[in-house]
Amino acid sequence: MYGLTIFMTLLAFRPSPVVNFKVVDNPNDGGGRILITWDYAPDADLSEVDHLELLRIDKPGEGAIVVTRLSTVARQFTDSGLKNGKPYRYFLRVWFKDGSYIDTPISPPVVPKAQWFHTKRIVGLVILVLYGTLLMIFLKKAKRGEELTIRPIAGLQAVDDAVGRSTEMGRPLLFVLGLGTISDLATLAGLAILKRVAMKAAEYETDIIVPCFDPVVMAAAQETVKQGYLEAGRPDLFNEKSVYFLTQDQFGYAAGVDGIIMRQKPGAIFLQGAFFAESLIIAETGHSVGAIQIAGTSSVTQLPFLIAATDYTLIGEEMYAASAYLSRDPNSLATIKAEDWMKVIFIVLILIAVAFETASAITGNKSLSIFPKLFEFN
Amino acid sequence: MKREIPLLITFIAGFLIVVALFIPHPPFNKIEETFNSWYIIVAGFTFILGIDSLILHNWEKIRRRSEGWPFALTVILSFFITLIWGIVSGVRTGHIFSTNSTFRNYFYLYIYVPLQATMFAILSFFIASAAYRAFRARTLNATLLLLTASIVMLGRVPLGNVALIPVISIAVLMLLWVLVDELKYVTSPTQRLIYIGIAVVAVVAAFPITKFLYHNLSPVTDWIMNVPQMAAKRGLFIGLALGGIAVSLRIILGIEQSYMS
Repeated sequence: MYGLTIFMTLLAFRPSPVVNFKVVDNPNDGGGRILITWDYAPDADLSEVDHLELLRIDKPGEGAIVVTRLSTVARQFTDSGLKNGKPYRYFLRVWFKDGSYIDTPISPPVVPKAQWFHTKRIVGLVILVLYGTLLMIFLKKAKRGEELTIRPIAGLQAVDDAVGRSTEMGRPLLFVLGLGTISDLATLAGLAILKRVAMKAAEYETDIIVPCFDPVVMAAAQETVKQGYLEAGRPDLFNEKSVYFLTQDQFGYAAGVDGIIMRQKPGAIFLQGAFFAESLIIAETGHSVGAIQIAGTSSVTQLPFLIAATDYTLIGEEMYAASAYLSRDPNSLATIKAEDWMKVIFIVLILIAVAFETASAITGNKSLSIFPKLFEFN
Repeated sequence: MKREIPLLITFIAGFLIVVALFIPHPPFNKIEETFNSWYIIVAGFTFILGIDSLILHNWEKIRRRSEGWPFALTVILSFFITLIWGIVSGVRTGHIFSTNSTFRNYFYLYIYVPLQATMFAILSFFIASAAYRAFRARTLNATLLLLTASIVMLGRVPLGNVALIPVISIAVLMLLWVLVDELKYVTSPTQRLIYIGIAVVAVVAAFPITKFLYHNLSPVTDWIMNVPQMAAKRGLFIGLALGGIAVSLRIILGIEQSYMS
């Protein structure tokens, strides 16, 4: 009995392995969340700890409720679903394998609240403001009638040739918008190219086939092709049934497009939009029938396949520049010029960052390593 | 007004989404979620358009007996069989994918899944044919691509370093064969010397290169993937992000209108 009392007394004096227990309002959120963080003492023997319990006191004088049960791997927890403006207090209970426990001191009351600005996105805002300023400068230049030139893009220059070649061969054109939805930028860029292709198809009196993966995209594509025919002055040639829905199954769509390619043998195939594993299946089938192929996608993982299998590939932002490039609208060209200048700024920033990081690595001076933190975007 | 109202809606929606990125405070933190929910509801209704288009398009083909009309008949029959079987199976078992659902056990597992797997499997043959065309060492770029891809492929397979010895040996022999074959047509002594020089360098360098790669294939592969490959990829991502901002701004400001022709 005497021994047990000494043992329990010793247990009572066991130091808490948890140190730096901090409770703060979760930063950069819409409120209702509190962030609890802690560390373990360097000399703490965590093998003795069974688990941790995070407890919350909602009202002073009331009992604590268990929020969650955690292992010793955890170093932080975000308590959510809380009421904004109401104070909450927390403490951690460390349970040892022998059944005893020890509590951290109760934290001061912390009030969850919503923030009006996401501080970790300040760099994004700066970039956006800079971009906006450059855009305004170039829009002003465009309005003054100054000529805005952008580099030639081989894939877009080949669009007219591809339509012409298809016409000479007496074969239809096939335009594949990929698996993207109307909210994908790649699909919107694809629609801009479709309009140009439809105009040329109307001009040369060539059939155009547009099998679609998404019904919304189909409706937009129908309108785009119709507008293209209208602008070319040949609305009588427009056939709404040439733009149709195929399926919403990835490989079903690939099989359907492959079937169209094998049966209709198009002279030119345009693969413009968001593509995934089906890209090469379609592109290789197109190659097998001898069609000239112009691809464009923002799916970085599919670019190597399209470059290998098609005649021309619009890489990344080239596709986004397509509508401005093809329309030659000064306002659209102004956005591309602003983009190019932003690229110059980024290249300079990357070079400076590389110099700073290299200097930091060589000298061991951590204060020089400022860029990774500066460009952190959550 | 037919154009102005959609443009105004686009401007307000786009502007709110951009603002919401920087303001986590309600109601801005829920804007994107709300807009996405609206999109899902609208997209759900447009499915009727899709089904209408699918059936009419294929029915027209059957009616006109145009080329490949049996395929169109297969599409329509498959559509109705799938629809009716799915509904009946779902009503009878409570859920279309419950373990005793005949739709799941026969149609989904024995027809749909194998069909998908078949299409995906075809990809391996297409990769081989596309790779053959891309890796033909006709230009300096294609040769570099072939060399790099060979190292990465060997570095990513078990016992790649063992397979490396016959691969490099065959590559050197092929290079020598090409050089000797080309040498027959070369008349200039300087060019002949260059060809012989390349052949000698290839033979002399083959052994130390093979020895180095045999012991360091994995780190070399990792370096290719983490440094030059990653740098190119990040360059693309930066371009895509800036291009994306340019397109978005064109749409928000009403400069780009081709999507609402």
